[in-house]
This record gives sequence, structure tokens and C-alpha cells, in this order.
Amino acid sequence: MTDVTAQSRPAARPGGTRSDLLRQIWISRADYLYVLPAIVVMLVVIAYPIYYTVDLSFYKTPPGLQLKDKSFVWFDNYTTILTSGVFWRVTLNTVIWTIASTLIAFVLGYALALALHREFAGRGIMRAIFIVPWVISAVAASYIWKWIYHSDFGIIGVVMVQLGIVDRPPNFIDSVNTVLPSLIVVNIWREFPFAMIMMMAGLQTVPEQLLRAAQVDGASAWQRFWHVTFPHLRGVSTVTVLLLAVANFNSFIIPWIMTGGGPSNASHIWITHIYELAFGRQRWGVASAYSVLLFIILMTLGYFYVRALSQGERRERGA
Amino acid sequence: MAHVILKDLVKSYGSVYAVRDVSLTVNDGEFVALVGPSGCGKTTTLNLVAGLIPITSGDIMIGDRIVNDLDPKDRDIAMVFQNYALYPNKTVYKNLAFPLQMRRMTTHDMDQKVRDAARMLDITHLLERLPRELSGGQQQRVALGRALVRDPAVFLMDEPLSNLDAKLRVQMRSEIKRFHQDFDATIIYVTHDQLEAVTMADKMAVMNGGYLQQYDTPAQVFANPVNLFVASFVGSPAMSLIPLEAATNGGTTMLSSAEGWTIALSDQNARKVQRAKSKKVVLGARHSAIRLHKTQVEGAVPAKVYTVEPTGDVTFVQVFLSGAVVNISLPPTFEVEPDEQVWLEFDQNRMHLFDGETELALND
Repeated sequence: MTDVTAQSRPAARPGGTRSDLLRQIWISRADYLYVLPAIVVMLVVIAYPIYYTVDLSFYKTPPGLQLKDKSFVWFDNYTTILTSGVFWRVTLNTVIWTIASTLIAFVLGYALALALHREFAGRGIMRAIFIVPWVISAVAASYIWKWIYHSDFGIIGVVMVQLGIVDRPPNFIDSVNTVLPSLIVVNIWREFPFAMIMMMAGLQTVPEQLLRAAQVDGASAWQRFWHVTFPHLRGVSTVTVLLLAVANFNSFIIPWIMTGGGPSNASHIWITHIYELAFGRQRWGVASAYSVLLFIILMTLGYFYVRALSQGERRERGA
Repeated sequence: MAHVILKDLVKSYGSVYAVRDVSLTVNDGEFVALVGPSGCGKTTTLNLVAGLIPITSGDIMIGDRIVNDLDPKDRDIAMVFQNYALYPNKTVYKNLAFPLQMRRMTTHDMDQKVRDAARMLDITHLLERLPRELSGGQQQRVALGRALVRDPAVFLMDEPLSNLDAKLRVQMRSEIKRFHQDFDATIIYVTHDQLEAVTMADKMAVMNGGYLQQYDTPAQVFANPVNLFVASFVGSPAMSLIPLEAATNGGTTMLSSAEGWTIALSDQNARKVQRAKSKKVVLGARHSAIRLHKTQVEGAVPAKVYTVEPTGDVTFVQVFLSGAVVNISLPPTFEVEPDEQVWLEFDQNRMHLFDGETELALND
């Protein structure tokens, strides 16, 4: 069918001229008209801010909301960032935060999806309970966890003391050493339901016959997972991991509300650090340069995401 | 290879019975087709034999072992599925090797067996391909190979041809039949297509509503269906079944219709009809056992032509008779028009009679 349509359509002339292009546009003028409002909105709220951020990243800006005294400094802001110790600290935090949150949330979600895929009494209730962390507001969750971790009144500390594990409640989020892992736990708690839902949806697409064939062939439950389920869900897994990675790279609410990046930058990740530089210390130029770097990194991640998606589609089409 | 015995096999889900009291013996090297409409319990029966679902009661013997509580892998069976169920991410070689790998066979022995099986099924040139790079027929052969490589006691096949197009289905039908002959394989084969069962199997087990209706050679099932269901299910086009009433007039037993006509019965058929529980009798006739006349003939009954379907070799004519549709086959040279008045003559020797109450065949 498609071949016939392709043949019946006049072949595009190689090296189309300018007037060809204009004629094409004129022919589909209505289509352009329909998308025009969307394009305008995109230009105003996305393209212009991106342009302005890139532009600003080359200027030294005095503190204050007045940007008229800015001076062009070439790549000074970038050099400042890359030579500062804080940058490397924050980058390391971001990497740890992103990788740990992503992988643990994914593995946990995957495991729960597998567990909940079987029929058993109370499965529906379990599923509903596990989805709760994902549906409650991140802000509310952050405040709740702040209290759970509180060094005087936090439930975890109290329980640990009563069980005799420690003498006095530990400083979960007030200590440089434990703050980042503590925040990562909260982040995983919030994100695993997403991975779980994605993988549950994926599990429903695993062909029953393949699992039965493997069972007859003598594969144990683990071998059936490894040889049938796991390869079948590779596409869904890639997409889930990438979505989680991008979301984690962009995290803001949990670290900002729970610690504001402290103590001594121990829980700052890129987004909170940029936010603090810009809106806390009003260092617009440096903050813009940070944003540009972040943008480049996220675009790279995005590229791999899209590529993984299209490869998954190609695999499914069986090309 | 081994024989398989099912004894009083039952599978129920709560109060719903999928398989009821099925007993049958599959002899060593026999090809048995489980056949019936959707939901008749044939696939459930196969899965019970495979051990993929637990039985409710009864016994399954493979060889001399009762396998009721054994895992599928310990039953010494191999299975071919409707969609072939090849592992999509593994090459043909790895698909064939998988059951051996799961049995921790040494690499050398495994390689030998895989290559032997590939040679027997003529798929050696496909070993490095992925399943998606194969045609339907090739995938089918790989699925057979994966079953063969294990050297199982019994092959279980679950509608392995239903995904193929009509032409390939006919071709693969003979390949599976050949496979059975070449390897003396004991095969239990599930299909909803009675034609597959008739053409391939040594014996066919016709199932309906979870019950085994008839278990015999295809020729016997075709010639002597035990009840109305089997009569209507086996054969293409289906046997025509006409509900009538038995009557006696001056010592002659005859069948009379609501339309007023009667058919006088031969002595043998009269004895059969007298065994019926009530007056209600169903007359069954295959398309080739009915003669169509264009003029009134002694013993023929009047009817009207509904449709005429020329197929080339044979022309099938459908006729309305006493509320039933009757199929008749005619030579293509015979000319007949829709709505034409015709007369039908039933061959007394090839006539089937069923009890209208119990639906069982009436025998002499």
C-alpha cells in the first residue's frame, strides 16, 4: 500500500530552489497558521529565555535586579565556575544523587512490579499503597521527611534510640556525611512508584507463551526472568532509566526544601546551586553560565533518550 | 517415545469445569489430535498434560510414570506453541540450544544435538539468524527443532498452524505429518480445525463442553459419529441434520416432516428408529449421500434451492428442507438455479439417525 502511494506521488526534485520552498509553504499556509500561536508562545517563554541566559552567561553582573551595569567578560564566568571547588563538589553531589536515585528507584520499582505482577490476595491494595509516594505533593513529602529525620523529634531517631541501636538520635540531615544519602532515600521513596508503574505496564506485554515455552524447556523462575522477561523489557527499562535520570538531574524541591543545599554545600546539586546563585546571591552571570552547562549536559542525555526510543520502536517493528 | 494415558482427568475453576472426566490412551508413536470448538477444553487438556496448570483430579501417565505432580521440565515433554514462542533475542542456534542449556548439557554434546536437529529439519543455514528474520514456515521449523532437540517422550502441539496463511498451512501440515512418520513421535496435537485433525492424526479426540465426545480414528469418527455434536463438527461441509418425527403407517416405519412429506425407511433404519426414546429423530446426511432431482421421483422429498456455490471440481448446493439447511454436492456440469424447485433423495445405506432427545446416534 505505502509503496503505491510513494510511487504515485511526484518525486521531489533534487536541489529544490528557493521558489519551490516558498511554494511549498504557500500550499500548506493553513497548517502554518494553525501552529502559529504555539510557535509564538514557545518563542516568548522558551526560546527567548534560552537566548537571554546564553547571552547573560558572557557578562559580569553586579548584584541587584538592575542588569544595566553588566559588562562583557567573554568566558570569565565559565572559568570561575570550572576552577571553583564548589563546582566540583556540587557536580560530584549531582552525579551521586542522580545515579544512586535512578538506579535504586529503578531496581526497587522493577522488583515490586515483578512481585505485584502475580495474582495474590490484597494485590490491588498493595499496588495502591505503593503508588501513594508518587501522588502526594513533593513539597508536602519534603516537610514530612524533614520531621521524620529531625534530630530531636524525628521518629527514626527515637525508634533507633529505643531499640538501643544508638545512644542519641543521629543527625541525618544536619551532618555533612549523612545529608546526601538521607535525601537520596527520600528521593527514591518518591520515585520508585514511577518505575514500578512503567515496569508493570511493560510486564503485561511479555507473551505468556514465551514464559510457558521456557518453563517447558526447563527454565527456573529466575532463568525465565533472565532469558525472557528481562530482554523483552529492555526498551521500557531504558526509557524508564533515562526519564528518571533526567528528572533526578533536574531535582529541586526535595533538596531545596529539606536542606537548602546545606550544610556547607553537602547537599547542593546543580539546580539548587544555580537557584541559590541567581535568586539568593544575585550572581546572574555565573548562574547563567551554570545553566548553559546544565543545558548542554541535559541535551546530551535527551539525545540518548530519543535514540533509545527510536531504537526500541525499530526493534518492535522487527526491522 | 512413550505412551500417554489420561484417566478421569478433571480441571475445574471453582464451579466451572474446563475438563471433565477425560480418559484416553495415546499409544507409543501415535498422532492424536484433540479437536473441538473454542472453549471445549482441548488446550486446557494439553496444558494439564504439559504440567503448565495443575490438575483438579484424575491421573496423567507418561510412559510408566504418573506425572500428576511433576514440573513441566521433569515430564519429558516438548511443546510447540501457536505463535512458535521462539525467544526473539536469541539466534536460531541459541533457541535450539536453550532446552539443553537448561539441562546443563556440556557444550560439545549440545552443539552436536543442535546441529543434528538443524540438519534433520533443514534449517542449518538459518542457525545464526534471529527469529524475526525468518518466514512463518521457517519459524515453525525452528519451533519443531527446539522440541526435537530434547528427544522428548511426547510432543505436545498447541494449534501450531493457526497463524499461517492458507497455502503455508497446507504445506506445513504435510511437514508435521512427515515429522511424525520420520521420528515415530508420540504427538498430542490441539486444533480447532477438524480438517487438520482428519488429515494428520491417527486418532482424533473430539471434545465439547469439557467432555470427550468421541475418540477414534478419523475414518471411524467420520463414518460413525456418536452424537449430534460430533456429526455436526466433523466433515466439511458439515453433515446436514434435519429434525423429523418417526411414524408408522401400515407396518412401514417412516420419518415425517412438519411440511407434510415422509420418507419410508429401510428395515435396518426402521430398527434404529425404534430404539429412540421418543418420536423425535434427527436425520443426518453428508453432502455426497443426497441425490438431487429436478423432477419428482419416488421416495424423494420436495425442497427449494437456496444458494449454489461452484468450487470448480464440485458445486455445493444449499437447500432449505423442513427448517434445516441441507448441503448437497453435485458435479459442476449439473445446472441448478436458486429458488428452483427440486427433490431430494436420501441414500438409506449412508443415512445417520440420531435420537432427538438424547442427541446420541441410533444404532442397529
